[in-house]
Amino acid sequence: MVNPIYILTLSLAAGFLLTLIDKSGRKLSLTVFYGILSLNVFIIGEWFYRLTFLNTPTVIINTAGFSAPLSINLQLGMQEAFVLLFANLTALLSAVYLFKKFKETHISGLILYLIMIVGVNGLVMTRDLFNMFVFSEILSISTYALITLTETKKSLSAGFKYMIAGGIASTFFLLGVTFIYYFTGNLNLDFIHLGNFSNLGFISIFLLAIAVFIELKPFPANGWALDVYEAVDSGIVSVIAVVNSAAIFFVFYKIMPILPQNFLNVFGIAGVITFFFSNLMGLKQKNAKRLLGYSSIGQIGLLVASLIFTMHLPRSLMYLIVGGFFFNHLIAKAGLFWITGIVKKENLKDWNVLKNNKPLLVLFGILLFALAGFPPFAGFWAKWEFVKMLVHGKMFFVVGTILLGSLFEVIFLFRWFTLSIKGDEKTEHKNISLELSKMFPTTIFAGITILISVLIMKFFYDFNWLHALPVLAVLIINVIDFLPSKIKGILSLAAVLTYGYLIYPLESNIQLFFGIIFIIGSAINIIGTLNRKGKSEGFYGLLLMMIFSFGNLLVAITYLEFFLSWEFMTISSFLLILRGKKAQKASMLYLIFSTAGAYLMMVGFSLAPDLVSNSVLILSISNVSLPIAATILLSIGFMIKSGSLGVHIWLPEAHAEAESDVSPFISAILLKAGVFGLLMVGISYIKHTPSFDIFYWIGWIGVLTAIVGAFLASFQEDAKRLLAYSSMSQVGYIVASIAILSHLGWLSAMYLSFNHMMFKSALFIAIAGVYYRTHTRTMYEMGGLIKKMPLSFISVLIMIIAVSGVPPLSGFGAKWLIYSSFIEKGWYLQAGVLFFASGVSFLYLYRIIHTIFLGQLKYEHQNVKEAPIWFIIPQYIFIIGIMAISMFPNLIIQPLNSIAMRYFNSSIIIDGYTISSSLGYWNGNLVMYVTMGVFVVPLIFLMLFNGRMQKVKQFNIVYAAERPESPQTTHVAHNMYAHYRKALGGWGKPRIWDFWHEVSEWSHSLADSIRQLYTGNGQTYILHIIMYVIVIYFISGV
Amino acid sequence: MIFSLILGFLLLIIGLYGMLTQKNLIKIVIGFSIVDTGTHIIIVSIGYLSGKTAPILDSTVDLANAAKQVVDPIPSALVLTAIVIGLAVTALMLSFVIKLYQKNKSLSIDDYQELKW
Amino acid sequence: MNIWIKILYAVISVLVVTIYGLTLGGIVRKIYARVHGRYGPSVWQPFLDIIKTHGKRVSISHGYMFYLGPIFRLAGGLGTYLFIPVIFGSVVFSNFSIAGDLLLVMYFIFFGQLGMALGAGEGGHPYSPLGIARGLSQMTAFEVPFSLAVIAIAIQYNTFNLTTIVAAQQGSILNWTLFTNPLAVVAAMISLLGMNMHPPFSIVLAPQEIPIGPPIEMNSSFLATLQTNRGLFTAAKLILFMNLFFGGATNLPIMIIKTFLIYMFSVFVGASFPRFRPEQSMRFFLKWPTLIGVASIIFIAYF
Repeated sequence: MVNPIYILTLSLAAGFLLTLIDKSGRKLSLTVFYGILSLNVFIIGEWFYRLTFLNTPTVIINTAGFSAPLSINLQLGMQEAFVLLFANLTALLSAVYLFKKFKETHISGLILYLIMIVGVNGLVMTRDLFNMFVFSEILSISTYALITLTETKKSLSAGFKYMIAGGIASTFFLLGVTFIYYFTGNLNLDFIHLGNFSNLGFISIFLLAIAVFIELKPFPANGWALDVYEAVDSGIVSVIAVVNSAAIFFVFYKIMPILPQNFLNVFGIAGVITFFFSNLMGLKQKNAKRLLGYSSIGQIGLLVASLIFTMHLPRSLMYLIVGGFFFNHLIAKAGLFWITGIVKKENLKDWNVLKNNKPLLVLFGILLFALAGFPPFAGFWAKWEFVKMLVHGKMFFVVGTILLGSLFEVIFLFRWFTLSIKGDEKTEHKNISLELSKMFPTTIFAGITILISVLIMKFFYDFNWLHALPVLAVLIINVIDFLPSKIKGILSLAAVLTYGYLIYPLESNIQLFFGIIFIIGSAINIIGTLNRKGKSEGFYGLLLMMIFSFGNLLVAITYLEFFLSWEFMTISSFLLILRGKKAQKASMLYLIFSTAGAYLMMVGFSLAPDLVSNSVLILSISNVSLPIAATILLSIGFMIKSGSLGVHIWLPEAHAEAESDVSPFISAILLKAGVFGLLMVGISYIKHTPSFDIFYWIGWIGVLTAIVGAFLASFQEDAKRLLAYSSMSQVGYIVASIAILSHLGWLSAMYLSFNHMMFKSALFIAIAGVYYRTHTRTMYEMGGLIKKMPLSFISVLIMIIAVSGVPPLSGFGAKWLIYSSFIEKGWYLQAGVLFFASGVSFLYLYRIIHTIFLGQLKYEHQNVKEAPIWFIIPQYIFIIGIMAISMFPNLIIQPLNSIAMRYFNSSIIIDGYTISSSLGYWNGNLVMYVTMGVFVVPLIFLMLFNGRMQKVKQFNIVYAAERPESPQTTHVAHNMYAHYRKALGGWGKPRIWDFWHEVSEWSHSLADSIRQLYTGNGQTYILHIIMYVIVIYFISGV
Repeated sequence: MIFSLILGFLLLIIGLYGMLTQKNLIKIVIGFSIVDTGTHIIIVSIGYLSGKTAPILDSTVDLANAAKQVVDPIPSALVLTAIVIGLAVTALMLSFVIKLYQKNKSLSIDDYQELKW
Repeated sequence: MNIWIKILYAVISVLVVTIYGLTLGGIVRKIYARVHGRYGPSVWQPFLDIIKTHGKRVSISHGYMFYLGPIFRLAGGLGTYLFIPVIFGSVVFSNFSIAGDLLLVMYFIFFGQLGMALGAGEGGHPYSPLGIARGLSQMTAFEVPFSLAVIAIAIQYNTFNLTTIVAAQQGSILNWTLFTNPLAVVAAMISLLGMNMHPPFSIVLAPQEIPIGPPIEMNSSFLATLQTNRGLFTAAKLILFMNLFFGGATNLPIMIIKTFLIYMFSVFVGASFPRFRPEQSMRFFLKWPTLIGVASIIFIAYF
C-alpha cells in the first residue's frame, strides 16, 4: 500500500516536470500524464478496498514531523476514500475524454489538470482549515485557467464571472478561517468544537460555512455557475460539475460537525429551495448544457439537504441516501455532459440527431433515467428512503417541495429525451462521430450506474430475483435483438407464459384473478404483435418488462417491492408509448402524470404503518390501518393510473398515439393496475374505516369519470381516442364500484375489469387491423368496411354489444351487478348518473362501428383486405371468452363471489344459473336461450319467405330526386353528434384540459420570470452573493 | 488593533463597492484587489497584540512564558500565503481581461452578458 | 314446468299482444287523422300494410348486417316483451320473466334499437345514420328521467323484480305507484313521450327532413318485420309502464284499458304540440324531467 500523500506529491511533481518532459515529445508527456492519473485511481482504489472491506483503520498522515494541531494533518478514512476514488476516476475518464484536446493544446493544459487534481485530493483529505483554503484556491485557480482551453467569448466571460464569484466566496472563507482561529486558537477541525465559541464567534463559523455553501451554488446566488456550465467545453465542465462539486461537497461535510444546528437547518432548507427553483427554472431552458447546469445545481442542493437531514440516521441508511444521491447525480451528470460534447447540439430540438444513433441513445437513456431517479438506479432508492425518512420526521413541506422539484426535473429531462427520439425538427442529419476517446468514459459511467443499481438491489435490499426480471428482460431481448420480430414475439409469448407458471402458486384468489388479467390477457395480446415486420428493435424487451412488472405487483411483499414494480411498469409503458410515430407529447403527458402519481404514492407508502406479516402486500395490507392521508394519497396515485376524471388527460393521448398493437396493453391491462391498487387501498380501508368517508368521494369521482368519459368518447373523430375515452368511462364504473365497499360492489368491479380487459383488447386490436389496412385512424375517412373486413366487423359488433351492456352478452351482467350494488348501497343519484353514462355509451359505440364499417365504402378502400390473421386470432380468442361467460355467467361469477367473500359477507345467491341479489335476479343462461330463440325465429321466417331478395350495389339507394355524388358526401360520419354538442352548450367545454394547460402555462411563466434574476451581468451575480450572505445571516439568527 | 481591523473592513467594503459599481473590467479587478488587501489587513490585525514582541525566541523572550509575551505568529504566516494566492488570482483575472479585450475590444462588463437565464 | 308448454304460452302471449299493438297503432293513426281534419285509414290498416309490404315483388338487400337489422329489431321487441310478466297471476302471460328483472327489460330494449341502427347503417343512405344519431341522442336524454324514476321505484319497493312491484300495487288504486310515488310517475311519463317518438319528440322520423328516418332503405319483408315489431314493441313498453306505475293488470281487459289510456297520453300530447329540434329535445329532457326524477328519489329515499 502506498501512502496516500503520494497522490498529492506525485501529481505535483509530475505537474512541474511535464514542461521538461514535453520537450521530448507530447507522446511521452501524455503517457506520464495518464500514468499519474491512473496511478492515483489505483492508489486510492486500493485504499478504498482496504478501508471498506478489510476494516483498515482510518489513516492519519502528519506532516512536518509533528502531530496535529501543531502541524497540518491529512486524513483518509472510508468516506474520504470513497469520494476520492470517485473524483479521481472521474478525473481520469474526463482526461480520456479530453484526449484530443490534450494532444494539441499547450502543455500547460496538462499541468493545470494535474494541479487541479492535487487541489481536489488535498481538499478532501486535509483536516486543517487554512490548508483547506489553500487547496481550494489551488483547485479554483487551476480550474479558472482550464476554462481557457477553449477561448471563446462565452467561455472567457463565463470564466471571468466565475472568478469574481469564487474570489468573493474565498474572501469569506478566509475571513471565517481567520476569525475561527481568533476565537479558538486553532485551525484543525479535530480540535475545534462548538463549545469553544462565544456568540460573536458564531459569526466566524457562519462566514466559513456560507463561503463553502456559496461554492455549492445555492439559489439564487448561482448565476455564475450556470454560465460556466453553459459556456465551457464539455470535458472541462464535467470536471467542474462533478469533481469540483464532489470535493466542495465533502468540505461541507467535514465542517458540518462544527456548525450549530440552526445553521444546518437553514442550509438544509436552502438546499431544498435551490433544488426546487433550479428545477422550476429548468422548465424554460432550451440549451442542453445549461439545462444540465440547472439540474446540477438542483441536485447539489438536494444532496446538501439530504446530508443535513439524514445525519441522525443509522450509518448504512445515511450512506444509501446521501451516497445514492451523490453517486447517481455526479455520474449521470458527468456522462450527460460528455454526451453533450459528443452530440454538439445546443438546442434541445436539434437533438433528434440521436434518433439514428442507437449506442449513444442507449447511453443517453440510461444516464437520463438515472438522473431523474427512476429505478433501478441509485437515485430511486435514495429518494425512496429519503422521502420515507422525511415523512417520518413530519417534514411534509420539505417532502412536497422536493417531490415537486423532482417532478419539474423529470419534465424537462424527459422533454429532452422525447425530443431526441421523436423530435420533428428538421436538422441536417449529419452522423455524429463517435470518437472512442469520448465514448469510452461515457460507457464506463453508464456501466457503473448499472453496477451500482445491481449492488444496491442485491446487497442492500436483497430482493427476490423476480423483481429484477423486468430489467433482465430488456437486457436479454437486447442481446437477441438481431432476430426477426416474429421469433422474438414467440419467445416473448413463451416467456410470459413461463413467468405466469413461475408465479402461479399464488397465495390468494384475488391475485389469481388479476394474474389472469395481467398475464393471460397480455399473452393473448402478444399474438397481435406477431404481425410486426422487420426487427422491432427493443420492442419486446419493453413489452416483457411491462408484463413482468404487472405480475410483480401481484407478488410484491413490501411497499418498496410494490412501488418498484409500479415504477418499472411506468417506465416500460412510457417507452412503449413513446415508440408511437407522433407520441412525443402523449408520452410526456403520460410520464408527467404517472410520475406525479408515483410521488404521491411514495409519500402514501411512507405514511403507512409497517407491515406485520410476511404475506404478499395485497393480503397483508388488510392488517394495516392506513392513516387518512395515506389513503388519500395512494388513492389519487392509483386513480391517476386508471385515468379518473381530473387527471385523465394523459389517457386519450397515450392510448391513441401508442403503436396500434401496444394500445390494447395500455388500455385493457395497464389501467387494471390502477384498479388493483385501488382495491388494495380498499382492503385496508374496510378493516380500518376512518371517520372521514374518503371512498364516498372516490365513488363520485368514478361516477363522473364514467359520464364525462362517455361524452368525450362520443365527440371524437379518431377511433383510438374514442376507444381511449371509452376506457376512461368504463374504468370510472370500476372505480365507483370499488368505492361502494360492498360485496356486490367489488364483485361488479372485478367482473367489469375482466370483461373490459377482453372487450377493450379486442376492440383495440380490431382497430389496429383496420389501421394496418387503411393507414388512418380518422373514422370519417373510412366507412363501409364491413364488405372488406367482415371478420373484424363481427368482432367489433360482438364487443360493442358487450361494452354497451345489452343482453344477452356479458356486459349486461356488469350493468346488473353495478346497479344492484349501487341501489343496495343507497347511492341513488350516483346510479342515476351511471344510467345516463350507459346511455351515452351507445353514442360512441354506434359511432365507431357505423363510421368505420357501415355506410359508404370509400373509393380508396375498394381493394382493402381483411385484417392480418395475427390480429384476428386474439380477437376471436376474446370473443370465445366473452361468449363463454355470457352463456355461463357462473364461470366468472362464482370465483369472483368467493374472492369478494374474503372481505364481505356474500350478498348474492347462486342457484343454478340464476343469480339473485337482495334486489333482483338474473339468469344469464336463460336470457341467452330466449334471445337466441327470438332471434332465430324471425331469421328463419325471413329466409323462408324472402327468397326473391336481390343484392344491390353501394349507391343503389332511394335518394330523392338526386343521385349520391361520392362516398365522402354520402357517408354521415364527421361530427356525428353535433346536435348533442349544441345541446350541451357550455357543458361541452374542455375545462379540465384548459385547467392543466393553464397550470403548465403558469409554471412556465413563473419559471421564466424567476430566471430573469440571472441577468448575465457579473456584477449582478456578486450582488446576489452578497445579498444571499446577508439574508442567510439574518435567517440563521447568529 | 481595532483601528487596523476597522481599516481592513473599510477597505473590504470599498473594494466590494467598486466591484459592484464599476463597469470597467480592470476596475473590477482593482476592486477585487482592494477587497483582498482589506482581508489581509484584517488577518494581520487579529494576530497583533499590543505590548507584545515579535515571535522570535531570542534574548527578549523568556522561554518559559514565551506564549504570553509574543504576538501570535500564525496569522502572519497565513497572510503571507493569502497574499501569494491573491496575487495569483489577480494575475489570472487580468489575463482573462486581456483575452476578453483581445477578442471583443471592449472592457465594459455590460458587453459580456449574452449568457443568461 | 315443461319447457314446450312455456314456449306455447309465450307464442300465444306474443300473438295476442302483437294483434293488440297493431290495432292500437291503427286507432292512433285514426285519431291523428281526425285531429288533422282527415278521415283517416281504417283501424286495420297496420295489418294491411304488413301484408302489402311483405308481398312486394322487389326486395333488395345491402348486405348481411342490413339483412339482420330488422331481425335484431323484432328480436328486441319480442325479447323485451317476453321478459315482462304481462298479467299479474296469469301463467300464460307470465312469459320468461324468470330470466331477469326490470334491469334486464330496460337493457333489452336497446337490443333491437342497436341492431336496427346497425342494419340501417349498412344501407348506406345518409338519412339512416342521421336519424339514428338523433334517435340515440334523444334516447340518452329521455333515459335519464326514466332511469331516475326506476331507481325511485327500486327504492320504494326495494326490488327490481317486476312481479313483486306489481304485487305491491295490488289491493287498492291508492297503492299504485301513481299515488304512492307521483313524482317518479311524472318523470317517467314525460320520458315515455320521448320513447314513443310522438311529437314534440319525433325528430328521429322527422317526416319533413329525413322521411321516415332510419328505416328509409328498408323494403318488402324487412319493412314488414319492422312494422310488426312496431305494434309489439309499443305494447311491450306500455305494459312495462303499466306494471311499474299503474298497478299492473290482473286480466286481459284491464291490461288493454290501462295501456290504451297510457298511450293516449302520448297521443294527445303528440297531436297538440309541434316538434322540437334535436338539441331542444335533449335539453328538455335533461332539465325539468330530470329534476323531477331527482326530486322523486330524494322524496322517496329521505322522507
